[in-house]
This record gives sequence, structure tokens and C-alpha cells, in this order.
Amino acid sequence: MTDSILPPPGTSQGLAFLDLGERLRQRGQLEAAATVTLAGLGRYPALAGAHDLLARIRADQGEDAPAIASWRAALECDPGHIGALKGLAFLAFRARDLATAERHLEAAAMRDPHDVTILAALDRVRAAIPAPSTESFRLDDLASGLLLFDGQGMRLTGGVGPGTGELEADATAAEASGLAREASRTTRFLGLGAWQHLVLEGPEARVALVALDADATLLVRRPVLTPPGRLLASSARAADVAREWLGRSR
Amino acid sequence: MSLLHWEGTLREVTGIMGVRGALIVSADDGLVVAESAMEGLATTDVAAFAAALISRAQRTASAMHTSAPTRVHVTAESGTLFAVAGTDPLWLVAVTDPTVELGRLRLLLGDLAAVLV
Repeated sequence: MTDSILPPPGTSQGLAFLDLGERLRQRGQLEAAATVTLAGLGRYPALAGAHDLLARIRADQGEDAPAIASWRAALECDPGHIGALKGLAFLAFRARDLATAERHLEAAAMRDPHDVTILAALDRVRAAIPAPSTESFRLDDLASGLLLFDGQGMRLTGGVGPGTGELEADATAAEASGLAREASRTTRFLGLGAWQHLVLEGPEARVALVALDADATLLVRRPVLTPPGRLLASSARAADVAREWLGRSR
Repeated sequence: MSLLHWEGTLREVTGIMGVRGALIVSADDGLVVAESAMEGLATTDVAAFAAALISRAQRTASAMHTSAPTRVHVTAESGTLFAVAGTDPLWLVAVTDPTVELGRLRLLLGDLAAVLV
């Protein structure tokens, strides 16, 4: 049946299945919508819009994990696909993973800064994020974006944020300890004294390293739109929590 | 951009109170491309250390599965080293004392590095 609505790839009618799949989805005929979309994906596996449609169908069916997989596939085809970013943000928000929701919406806003639906969603997510004064610092959580490591590059606790695991946390601890040593060497040799903190600003994240003592450093990872002053203020509070943790652990 | 233009850019940076020196560094090899610094600041050392720091920062970002940083700054008891990426492999680097207006310097370095080619 689906072959009849799927002309060969490259033809102008080749994407008609997207319209049909979307209409079926909107009518609530989710199984039929999925069948049409999967058939289309068989012919157009690199079409981000088709993965996005399949993800929305799965989300409507309440199947979050397949929906996330499809939106990630859409982003592999088109790294800035706004529908996929909004979809992932929606599911993260629903799961109360506000940092991840904010990160996806920030990426979407960078792609289309004039889309009011994205900006409104970003406002809603940020309104749900606890204010800095009530910010909690969970050092034992891989998704916290707080990573404590020793001078040998061994992870003591924490991780580097949502979507990352122990592997990334351990690799980051190993590399960041080298960065901390380099910071120490640089400031002492240039006559600037002992280093206190180091900030990395990139297109996707802001990261602060705080020197706790001679043998421990705290890394704090936050979303890219975090104001630099807020990053440092948050890092200073997280450092206090980390010092308490070290005091109990040693 | 000519060397003369680069030197004008660096003088703009050193015009900010608290900036001890500014230089354009090739992060690939840690060499000074252009400089404007107060006496006593060893710019060749600054370039070498800045390049090493940038390289370590890039490796750390890679381990975190995030994009390479475009700004790196390290603050110490007696000052700050601030580095902002221009066109690869050039970085605009400033060394300051603790009295510097860091927010203003951050914005100026970002503006100037964006046209550093």
C-alpha cells in the first residue's frame, strides 16, 4: 500500500508521505501514521523531517524512549533541526530534567532566535529552574554537571552533565587535572600567584574549574547561556559543598 | 590584516586600566605574532603558556563531548590571563593585574578577536 504513495527518491512527490503521515497523526490514527512514516524512512533514511515525524508519533503514543531515539536520529541528519530540539526539550521538561530541556531550547533559539514558541518555552523552563539561592549541588549525581577530581586525574565523585556517563566523567577528570596543573604552572611562572578559577566558554557550554586545595579541583559545567558572573557565583557555592564533601571523605 | 593593524588592536586592549600586556599568539606553536606589553612582562613566556593552556582546555572539552572553547581565562591571586580565539590558529591574549575591569575586557577581546584574521 505504501509503495503507491512513495515515488522514487529524488522526485518532487517523494516527500508526500510526510504530509500523509502528519495528517494521520493529527487524526489520531497513530499506527497508520507510523506505518507510512517508517515506509518513507526506508527510502529516505537521511531525511531529518521524517525522523522528526516518527518521533512525534511515538511521543503521541507515550513511547518516550523511541521518540528520543528518533529525534536524535533527526539531529544526526540535521544537527540544528528545530523540531527535534523542541521535541527533546519537551520530553526532558516532562521528565523534570530542566537543565537538558534548557540546553535543547538554547540550541533551537540559536538556530532561530525569532521563533516566539521557542523563546516562550525557554522562559517557561527557566522559570521552573530553582533560583541560584536555592540551587542544589548534588555531587553524587552524574547528571549534575559537577565533577570533583584529585591531582592525579582520578574522579572522586560527580559527572559532566545530562546524557553523559562514567566514561565521559572519568575521561574529563583525567584531562581536566592536566588543565588544572597547566593553570597552576602558568600563573605561578607569570608571577600571578596561585590560580583560583579557570573558565572555558564554548558554543555549547560554559565550564568553570575551581581550585579547592593542592589535591582537589571542582569542575562545574553549565548551559551556554549561563551568564559568566552567575557561573562563577554558582561555582563558588558548589566549591563550598565540595569542600564539605572532601572533609567528610578524607 | 596587517601587522600595523594588529598592533593598533593590541594598543586598544592595553588601553584598559589594569591590562599589563596583550598579544596575538599562534596556538599551534605558542609563538608571539604581535605584541604590546609593559616592561617586565615576558611575552614569549605568556605565548607559550597560553598555547599550552588552550591545548589542555581543548582536550578537556573534547573529553566532555562538547565543542572546543573559544574563550579561556584563568584568574589567580595577582591577576588574570584571558585568551579569546580568532581565526585558527590565532588567539588574542591579555594579562592583567587584579584591578582590571574584567567584564569590559572580556567584551573588547571578543569583539577584536572576531576580526582577527
